[in-house]
Amino acid sequence: MTIKHYILTLLLFCTTAAMGQSFVAQVSKTQVATGEVFEVQFTLNASGDKFTPPNFAGFQVVGGPNQSQSMSSINGQVTQSVSIGYDLVADKVGTFTIGSAYIVINGRPVSTKPIVITVVKGNPQAQQRQQQQQQAQSPFDNTPPDAPGADMKKNIFMRAVIDKSRVYLGEQITLTYKLYTRVSLVANDLDKAPDLNGFWSQDVNKNQQQNIPWKMEVYNGQRYNVAEVKQTILFPERAGNLTIDPLAMTFVVRKALPARDVMEQMFGGRTEDVKIKVASPPVTVHVQPLPEAGKPASFTGAVGTFAIEGTVDKRELKANEALNYKLKITGSGNIKLLKEVNINPPTDFEKYDPKITDAVTESIKGVSGSRELAYLMIPRHEGTYTIEPVQFSYFNPKTNKYVTLTTPVFPIKVNKGTDAAGNVTSLAPADQRDIKMLAKDIRYIKSSSPDLYNEGEAFFGSAGYWLLLLLGPLAFIGAFAFRKRTEEFNSDIVKVKNRRAAKLAAKHMANAGKEMQAGNTKAFYEAVSKGLYGYLSDKLNIPAADLNQENIAAELKLKGVSDALIKNMTDTLDLCEMARFAPVSHVSQQQVFDGAKSTINDIETNV
Amino acid sequence: MKRITYLVLLLALPFTSFGNDEVNTLFAKGNDQYAKGKYADAAKTYQSILNNGNQSATVYFNLGNAYYKQGDIPSAILYYEKAHKINPGDDDINFNIQLCNLKTTDKIDPTPDIFLTKWWEAIVMAFSVGTLGWLSILFFIAGSGVFIAYLYSQSVSLKRTSFFTAMGLISIGLITIILAATQVHYFASHKQAIVFSNAVNVKSEPGAGSKNLFVIHEGTKVDVLENSNNWMRVRLLNGNEGWILVGDVKAI
Repeated sequence: MTIKHYILTLLLFCTTAAMGQSFVAQVSKTQVATGEVFEVQFTLNASGDKFTPPNFAGFQVVGGPNQSQSMSSINGQVTQSVSIGYDLVADKVGTFTIGSAYIVINGRPVSTKPIVITVVKGNPQAQQRQQQQQQAQSPFDNTPPDAPGADMKKNIFMRAVIDKSRVYLGEQITLTYKLYTRVSLVANDLDKAPDLNGFWSQDVNKNQQQNIPWKMEVYNGQRYNVAEVKQTILFPERAGNLTIDPLAMTFVVRKALPARDVMEQMFGGRTEDVKIKVASPPVTVHVQPLPEAGKPASFTGAVGTFAIEGTVDKRELKANEALNYKLKITGSGNIKLLKEVNINPPTDFEKYDPKITDAVTESIKGVSGSRELAYLMIPRHEGTYTIEPVQFSYFNPKTNKYVTLTTPVFPIKVNKGTDAAGNVTSLAPADQRDIKMLAKDIRYIKSSSPDLYNEGEAFFGSAGYWLLLLLGPLAFIGAFAFRKRTEEFNSDIVKVKNRRAAKLAAKHMANAGKEMQAGNTKAFYEAVSKGLYGYLSDKLNIPAADLNQENIAAELKLKGVSDALIKNMTDTLDLCEMARFAPVSHVSQQQVFDGAKSTINDIETNV
Repeated sequence: MKRITYLVLLLALPFTSFGNDEVNTLFAKGNDQYAKGKYADAAKTYQSILNNGNQSATVYFNLGNAYYKQGDIPSAILYYEKAHKINPGDDDINFNIQLCNLKTTDKIDPTPDIFLTKWWEAIVMAFSVGTLGWLSILFFIAGSGVFIAYLYSQSVSLKRTSFFTAMGLISIGLITIILAATQVHYFASHKQAIVFSNAVNVKSEPGAGSKNLFVIHEGTKVDVLENSNNWMRVRLLNGNEGWILVGDVKAI
């Protein structure tokens, strides 16, 4: 016997002289919609016995009987009331009557008035909301009476719910395993956790497993108590149709049995515990590969929305001091799967592996947070360097576009550090270092003029080549022949003298001309005579000792020179000799000069 | 003397002024396209210079670079080798050939030569045939000049020195001619080719039915030993020999 029975019995026996006894029926509303829950309450302000509920034809009892009793004592006057309530739901549209309820007060039967209820077509949402409010407090107490006979599969099942079924590779999906039940659960046991092959998964709120909040939800026109058994954020790791494995659980269900008598029906009825295995049906996710078009070179697989921030702790430092370069990637997406970002510090810097700090939270909306990569760098030499910008690319599945972010350039000034004599220990042995080969590439194109030639027109071996090659030897042969000829030419002295006679005479005559200009009469005649004699001596091969007018005349005659010319010649010679000792007046110096010249010319042409 | 100068100029004219304006414009255009990264266009421009059977080590080299940048390693090697044939002493050409050979599929270790052979080859290949030709002419003219000086010199000591100097210069001139001739003969007798098909079965006999000896891949250089009806007998640098189809290779 439950406590309710005791209370009721106590109330019934506690009979006092009542002021006026009343037994009334009340409804929360007389016009209801289908599916809407309303309450009917039978109130008795005295102690009664043998309560008979009315016939609720046309309605479904979803709750009750709920008993409540109150007792108050005012100025010694004690009043008490007992009420029994039922929660009803109308199934069909129309007008229905809740019949009379009976009770026996002090041996006299009392009845309530029938109540007419008008049922209209309901708005399912309004109905659901109202139900939820009402049911939230005690989900298991209002098990519908038809539950025991219904198929258990309809009353308890699980679903795997995903927020999107078409995603890109690496895009996050929220997976929720929901338990739907219309029966009361006594115990549960996890049979098999899903493998989630092809996904990288991250569970949400693991610690709340103990205390799962229950909610109301209408599914396929039925109202269920729903619990979110497990929530996971999934990141697909390969493209294609991926199947989310079922989650299998075993529940112990408390099943209501039909009441055997009125009391049992009034006070809750019998129950039975049944074991049921439940598994969620598998769900398929269609994973698209990331588009190839416009994929940046710096893309390493980040999908979501991100922001990057780069900072250095100092812009100026001494050599061998540490420099901290921090990259902070903030955003929502597969942040824990991010590959190491490639930074390019100056080659003279020693770079160490980054320290990675994650601050990531998982919620129903997805994984979000930040990853901080702290790089330690040590510049070994003084100078001005720049830390090149870091490129970070991600794919934004909402806009279907790749986004590339760039950190700023940091100029770093490195001053001369403390030397080896100081207390800084330098890892580099000395200032000198091998040049590091960063990459290999071909040599650049030549821009010098292209010395084109046709095939088979190679210079070497061509006629032109051989001609040019012979040029030197030919020049040598020419020079040799030329020398030989000059040698032969100069070997006969007489001939040489003969050839040179006119030249020598010309020289003397030029000298004479100079003297004439200067007015030295004596010197002029001497030069003319010297020129004539020298010329004749050379020309006629007469030694200086035998050089006199007779010999000259004889030789000239021999050579076939005309007498007139010889006469002219001797006259000029005489005149010259005479003029050296006495002044000559009948001929001018110019006439003598011209005469001598023409004589030499004539002899030269004739001989 | 003036006449001789004119003669020299007349003879030298065809060799010095060959690079006419049109070729220079095309060459500059190709270089410009290459510098802008339009390697395919640059290759076309360089090819148009070479169309009429023209040859130039510089153009071959730049064409090889343009193919290399497009990722066409066999073509790059082919044109580098052509450039090498014209100017075997050029450092840039040899460097690029070495780099390209690292990118081919087949890694072939050449059979080691005796050091004397190596030295001789290094000497023969140090200058291009054209350079050697000009050098020989220069040495002959210089030697002849000194010989002429010997003829006209008066003192005995001057005569003696000039005579030996002249002999030396003429001998060097003769050696350069021999080197040039050796080089011409070497390239004329060593026919080489580059494999252009992706995988070529090297057969034991000239016929499709014969045994496969080994497989070579594109970019590999082979010595061509003989030709027989569409088949050629080739030898790899490591000494292996076999028969392949003529269509699988392009002659350097």
